[in-house]
Amino acid sequence: MSRREEESVKGYKQWAAVMISLLLGVAVSACENQATAESSYPSKQVEYIVPYSAGGGVDFVARAAADYLSKEWGQPIVVVNKAGGGGAVGAEYALKQAKNDGYTALAVNVSNTTMLAAGMKTPPITNEDQVYTARIGKGTLAFAVKADAPWKDFAEFSAWVRANPEQLTWTSVGPAGFSAFGVAEWLDVIGADFAKTRMIVTKGAADSVPKVAGGHAILAVHTVGEIMPMLQAGKVKILAVSGDTRSPFLPDVPTAEEQGIQGLSVFWWTGVSFPKGTPESVIRKWEEAIAKMEKDPAFLQKLSEIQVEPAYAVSEAFTKETQAETTYYLELATKKGIRK
Amino acid sequence: MLIIETFQLLLAGFASALTPEHLLMAALGALIGTFVGVLPGLGPTSAIAILLPVTAGLEPTQGMIMLAGIYYGAMYGGSTTAILLNIPGELSSVPTCLDGYPLAKKGRGGPALGISALASFGAGVLGVIGLVFFAPILADQALKFGPPEYFALMILALTLMVSLSGGSLIKSFLMGAFGYTLALVGLGPSSGMPRFDYGVPALVGGFDMISIIIGLFAITEVLKGIDEKRTATLIGKPGSVYPKKEDLRVSAGPMLRGGIVGFFLGLLPGCSAAITSFLAYDMEKKLSKHPEKFGQGTIEGVAAPEAANNATSSAGFIPLFSLGIPSSPPLAILLAGLMIYGLTPGPVLFEQNASFVWTVIASMFVGNAMLLVLNLPLVWVWVKLTRVPYGIMAPIILMFCTIGAYSVRNSMFDVWVAFLFGGLGYVFSKYKWPVVPLVLCFILGPLLEESFIQTMAMGSGDLSIVLFRPFSLTILLAAGALLVISMILNRRTQQRLKEERDRGVDVA
Repeated sequence: MSRREEESVKGYKQWAAVMISLLLGVAVSACENQATAESSYPSKQVEYIVPYSAGGGVDFVARAAADYLSKEWGQPIVVVNKAGGGGAVGAEYALKQAKNDGYTALAVNVSNTTMLAAGMKTPPITNEDQVYTARIGKGTLAFAVKADAPWKDFAEFSAWVRANPEQLTWTSVGPAGFSAFGVAEWLDVIGADFAKTRMIVTKGAADSVPKVAGGHAILAVHTVGEIMPMLQAGKVKILAVSGDTRSPFLPDVPTAEEQGIQGLSVFWWTGVSFPKGTPESVIRKWEEAIAKMEKDPAFLQKLSEIQVEPAYAVSEAFTKETQAETTYYLELATKKGIRK
Repeated sequence: MLIIETFQLLLAGFASALTPEHLLMAALGALIGTFVGVLPGLGPTSAIAILLPVTAGLEPTQGMIMLAGIYYGAMYGGSTTAILLNIPGELSSVPTCLDGYPLAKKGRGGPALGISALASFGAGVLGVIGLVFFAPILADQALKFGPPEYFALMILALTLMVSLSGGSLIKSFLMGAFGYTLALVGLGPSSGMPRFDYGVPALVGGFDMISIIIGLFAITEVLKGIDEKRTATLIGKPGSVYPKKEDLRVSAGPMLRGGIVGFFLGLLPGCSAAITSFLAYDMEKKLSKHPEKFGQGTIEGVAAPEAANNATSSAGFIPLFSLGIPSSPPLAILLAGLMIYGLTPGPVLFEQNASFVWTVIASMFVGNAMLLVLNLPLVWVWVKLTRVPYGIMAPIILMFCTIGAYSVRNSMFDVWVAFLFGGLGYVFSKYKWPVVPLVLCFILGPLLEESFIQTMAMGSGDLSIVLFRPFSLTILLAAGALLVISMILNRRTQQRLKEERDRGVDVA
């Protein structure tokens, strides 16, 4: 062996030694993780999956919560946007593909849970795949049209739709998302033919509201917060909000009920859920931390800035409400032919 | 009025880009990018591919700043290897080799590097100025872009990429089709229904963009490197990197002209840096009083193509951000980066994520300045790096690839996918099957599908509305025109590449 070769072999040996010790180090720390997982959760970064693109309501709430929890626990809670399929892609990832070790949380939302289960005969995820940990916030739905649209109020618009259902194009957050259910319920109430209208499936509010503002679709049904930027820019106007009271963020906009259209109950909510089989201690820890968070003035201020109303619910109540909701939406979806 | 508003946004962008943590991201990106770009054979595309997973964990603005820094750093690193070792990391660095390497042989590698860094910086500045003027025009049209316009845009992007990747059109088309087929696996973007999963749970989530990119651009590079037994032979000392007054005087004109040509052609979606750097080089040769000295080590021969390829790269951010069309392979991977952060590029991006976009733009400027300040004094460090034996470099790169592919979804499936595509990419490159159409169709395919379904919904099942709307029709016509222009330009570039190959330049 020449001196050069010897040197290079020596180099490789050193390299191998470094690599082996690195690997050993990783192995040892992995073992430690196992032993102390329960007591010191979270001991590393938590992925918080938002199944929509950045900039929507679920995303804003998740980012605010992640920010709070990162400080509370001293570990990074990282928001990861996985959009597609009306929330199904990200939810499927968080609940089915990720480990149920408490290090992957789902920003759960009405569209990717009860509505998904109601809208599909074989949904990729169901209520049973997850542990509803805590609800964080809710919001009423607002019906938005282009700023210079010819209708002066919701009653007039509803009458036009009843007469011309085939001319109504509306954007939705997914094939079976809250926009779809909001529109289906409203059309049901006013007696218009849902099947004749045309749904344009988008990736989320950030993609959907501009389509109405630009005149590519007539109606967008979203949460107040999601419409707010385009409303403030003067590109869209809101004809009505659903629910029995006006939105605290839009005191001047009348409810549908005030305009004689009753029974719009679909509302939007978001919270946290974990895959089935996640350790009970993790669920309790999140439940408690979120309860504390909902009393934090800074967090409440943030919610208000994004036009989301606080609506904390513990795991048990949260689960019960989602089950009741599933039954209602299942019925609505079957009746309107949304269920596929 | 609009320009003033944009200028204010840019200033706000600078304020954000100059915060310590964002500065740190730009500096880290530029340094790491240079590091990877300097490694023989690894150019900007592989550099971004390897480092994409590292940045995926960051907050979007920081991640994009770092990615942009990596991009510029790797471009700069590519020039270093082109000049000192005659190894272009990317096609666009080939013209830099032509005079850069002879200069290095004469012991004037230092000034060549200095001029190249200056040219890059100048071109970067030009790019930012250009963005300030063009962005408002584009952002103003944002709302006019509905599904039919996006559909036309995707058609435009895909035709351009398929036609631009060089070589056989049929091969490009088949590779594109393969990429799209891969994108079909998993949950449908509009229906949310699982498809083509064949009952395999791992396939329900679809293939991950990053693992495919790592496979095709990073692992393939390593395999090629092993195959070629890459060894870097360095010639002499490069000398001082600070160019003399005389060097600056002769290269000022070429830099300016190269920068302008590079920038304006770079605005055309699909016009790559390889095209403009050759154009700028040949233009200077024609304008020169001593064209016979080109190819033997003239500083103008380095200044012009370097300015042009950097200006094109900066200008490339305009079609990338505003239309979602990447004009070169590294930008295609940056597009993947944007998508990972949930930012769908398009006219709406400027409208809705203005602060993000302008922070990234400002940070490009900052990144370029940092390259200038940091890298000139560090050039010897980089030179030493090129001497690390490939037998040590290769396993380190592979280790990063494995960690990167695994870390995205914490799944071994993605690691196997990365290695599978690494092998495939090696075979593809051996038989000259272009991989860029594959990657682009994989990334843009779902967007095409989504806008297609939306357009169909708008038109009650009639696709012809694409032809009856002025914007979408214009885009489709532009697609046709650009296709013809780019094919002509591309043929010319291929011809030049062939000439240089015949003359013995090591062209990847």
